[in-house]
Amino acid sequence: MNTVRLYIRSMGILLKSQLQYPLSFLLQTLAQLIMEGGEMLAVVLLMDRFDHLHQWTPGDLYFFFGLMSVTFYLAECFGRGITGNFPSMVRTGQLDTLLIRPRGILTQVLCSAVDPRRIACILVGTVSLILGSRMSQVEWTAAHVLLLTESIFCGFWLILGLFLIEAILCIHSVKSVEIANAITYGGRSACQYPVDAFPRSLRTLFTVIAPFALVMHVPASRILGKPIFGWPAWTAWISPLTGPAVFAVMMLLFAKAMRFYRSTGS
Amino acid sequence: MSYIHVEHLSKSFQIRKKREQGKLLREKQTIRALEDVSFEIEQGELIGYIGPNGAGKSTTVKILSGILTPDGGEALVGGRIPWRNRKEYVQHIGVVFGQRMQLWWDVPILESYSLLRDIYRVPETAYQKRLGELTEALNLGELLRTPLRQLSLGQRMRAELCGSLLHQPEILFLDEPTIGLDAVSKLALRDFLRWENREHRTTILLTTHDMEDIAALCARVMVLGHGRKLYDGSLQELLHRYDRTRTVDIRYDADGILPTLPDSVAVQREGDGLRLTYQPEKLATAELLALLQQAGPIREMTVQPQNIDHLIADMYREMGL
Repeated sequence: MNTVRLYIRSMGILLKSQLQYPLSFLLQTLAQLIMEGGEMLAVVLLMDRFDHLHQWTPGDLYFFFGLMSVTFYLAECFGRGITGNFPSMVRTGQLDTLLIRPRGILTQVLCSAVDPRRIACILVGTVSLILGSRMSQVEWTAAHVLLLTESIFCGFWLILGLFLIEAILCIHSVKSVEIANAITYGGRSACQYPVDAFPRSLRTLFTVIAPFALVMHVPASRILGKPIFGWPAWTAWISPLTGPAVFAVMMLLFAKAMRFYRSTGS
Repeated sequence: MSYIHVEHLSKSFQIRKKREQGKLLREKQTIRALEDVSFEIEQGELIGYIGPNGAGKSTTVKILSGILTPDGGEALVGGRIPWRNRKEYVQHIGVVFGQRMQLWWDVPILESYSLLRDIYRVPETAYQKRLGELTEALNLGELLRTPLRQLSLGQRMRAELCGSLLHQPEILFLDEPTIGLDAVSKLALRDFLRWENREHRTTILLTTHDMEDIAALCARVMVLGHGRKLYDGSLQELLHRYDRTRTVDIRYDADGILPTLPDSVAVQREGDGLRLTYQPEKLATAELLALLQQAGPIREMTVQPQNIDHLIADMYREMGL
């Protein structure tokens, strides 16, 4: 409970710091809006040219895009400490100041940053989700709402888990941004489309290794009434749990990497 | 047993050398940062820890504050092993890195403090009492509502010190706290450290390059070089060992008088006076004075011990550092 309180208080302080520069904050938020709006426009234009992609209608694709957008940018917003700040903390030795405080390292890293500008991207994603569900005539039953919430929640942890790969590698002083980015940002770009649109190798990558498909596409396709892979209905409830599982594994590897850091120094 | 007990502590790092041409893999090089260092520190001591850059001072501080794990040897601080149970251990220590700030940059320092209170789980009454006492001793009262970024370097260092002492640690590690500070800030900082040490018997280990800090604060000093402990004892004795030269500034009534002196005395013109450097063990001070008086009536004269920085530089040279 104490940790939650600490997190909320940290967020308060960080937000206050960001609002010290209101104009800069506003402009950057606007830039985010244009960027993510552009991404969505790409999907819209694509669907204007081809009126369907396999079994998926434009509405379905807006739905998938919105789901990815909301989830990914929630992770970038609240996980900023992991997705953005960590490598420079290692490089500058700022990590040492976390090690001398009586709290978990990952807790402190998460408490150290927030990126409220991402609210713009989340907004675009929400619009896309609503638009898509209207066009595809999704029935908003309690089960569907719950399933969507689960998918977003689990996707949040999946993405943070994948970003931890970069953190772990940079503790081992490996310069690896490209490899890590291929999975995180690459995964976002690819998996804003349903995974069955891709050739087998990519499909395997995003199902087995970075399970975006299990966390997002399986439940989303169930909500849209066109279950992917032809799996039974209950799988849509189970498969998103792979997201938190990935995070748990990465957390253990991260703890191991921190032991390495403490035996080698900066 | 002593409060800090360090025995045969050693630590080495592997660094990768730049890749040489024609070789596929980079060679690794092992740097011995600490080799077989042992010492004891009692509760309430205020100790100076000096040595040239790269001597292993920061490594020692990092090991004792639980940031690094040593390769060999043992260390106990207040009966605890620093690199075990990190979260429990760091509750009892405070660390200030001179060049690394831990407070939040854009918010009033008071808010940083209340966040630190939550991080260290300091009870509210204890926090208020400690905060009041520290802000008074560090003269921070008017700055509490100012964001860190608007403070001068000296104010910032005082703010950092307050932040790292809020949870009332038993020991404070200071890594070059006076670096870049002006004279007034330095003096204020020294006064404060003396106060904290006296009032709360807080043990203080001070790493610095500023010999004035050591002279003003520390009865005991440890010298480290190439990862080994070279000296452990009083500053007075250390100085006495290497303090071999004196400087005399002298002005005669008449201009242009040049006393005849043995070769062991170096003579230099300084404005309308002279600066002489001599070694008392080669030429007794009384003899020198006699020679100087023979040359003519003296208007004014001062005898100074060697500059402490020069002395330490000489000492490092003699120790082969």
